[in-house]
Amino acid sequence: MKWSKGLSLALILFTLVMNWGCKSAETRYHFAGDTDLSYIKKVAVLPLDNLTNDKFAADAVRQVVINELLLTGLVDVALPGDAAVAMEKAGVREASSLSAPKIKEIAGALKVQAVILGAVEKYGEVRSGSFTAPEVTITLMMADAETGSILWSVTKTEVGDSFTARHFGARSDSLSELTQKVVRDCVGTLQKYSR
Amino acid sequence: MRKNCRRKIRPLSFRFFSLITVLLVLGGCATDDVRHYLRPNAEAAGIKKIAVLPLETLTQDQYAGEKVRRMLISEILSRRADVIEPGEITSFLVALQKPLYRLEMKDIRELGEKLGADAVLLGSVEAYKMTSGLTVSYPDVSINLRLVETSSGKIIWSAVSTSGGASFWTRHFGAEGLSLSETARKVVKEAVDTLPLSDKTD
Repeated sequence: MKWSKGLSLALILFTLVMNWGCKSAETRYHFAGDTDLSYIKKVAVLPLDNLTNDKFAADAVRQVVINELLLTGLVDVALPGDAAVAMEKAGVREASSLSAPKIKEIAGALKVQAVILGAVEKYGEVRSGSFTAPEVTITLMMADAETGSILWSVTKTEVGDSFTARHFGARSDSLSELTQKVVRDCVGTLQKYSR
Repeated sequence: MRKNCRRKIRPLSFRFFSLITVLLVLGGCATDDVRHYLRPNAEAAGIKKIAVLPLETLTQDQYAGEKVRRMLISEILSRRADVIEPGEITSFLVALQKPLYRLEMKDIRELGEKLGADAVLLGSVEAYKMTSGLTVSYPDVSINLRLVETSSGKIIWSAVSTSGGASFWTRHFGAEGLSLSETARKVVKEAVDTLPLSDKTD
């Protein structure tokens, strides 16, 4: 009897500690109205805006977005080179300056039903006290090729530390691992509206 | 007598200690991760000859792309698939006069026709460095690869392969981890393991 009481207490304590330590960042996403995305068979991932000091951040995140989109099995992805040339021909230097007519023009040239654009807001290590951990913040949007309107948007921030890493020295995520995790969570929200 | 023995062993403390140890060790395990996509029926495509293009370097080490590219070539060859001579690829790219990030589907088709490649492997190196923690340094390697079929211009395989950080044992007991090159080789090997290759002798 004493035994099971002690064990239960230990398990409860442990669960509480682990839950306090787990910072599961919320993925905030939005779908335009009652959107049915099943007509989207192919998308183009345009270069993301880089709002960080790391000059490679946007390209690094874009590569992961392409891989994760393919992994969903929902859509095919246009070659990044094709997207770069289509943007050039449309006279667009940065995705942030895209207007609805330009989105239509680029999507038409690439023969895709939607384009993905977005920004990398944070990509690097942050120091908190004596602990250093990676932090990634991204925003992704999907614009319809026909209308240029935004069908889906998602944003997520995550810090790669954990209770066990901070206090017991367990392994924490590297920047690349955290990027994968954040992108996976963001792209995963698309599954919810795939029919 | 029996009562005394039970008191000495103290099963609760022992179990509690074991539980914490197991969890700490599991929490500290470095797990390498390969997330890959394989187009349905891609194995049937029978990729025998691959052109491995120079990889984009998205790290501070300007040679990271070339280092990983060589590892990729050697890893693919070790699986008895054929690889186009890197020199031929360089000549093609020089004649094309285009940076890698602007390679279009038509360029990939042309490369396939001219060099006889079934597929083109392209991608980037996102991390290739030693990351310094407070007490320990560990190798951090991350690569992103895509295999594009030259006949259709479609991505038939894509993978992101990343090394983990320092393990629990390295952090706390100074156990020797892998070097940067060893880690890169491991990351490349794990990615190529998922590649749909056909034996050239088939």
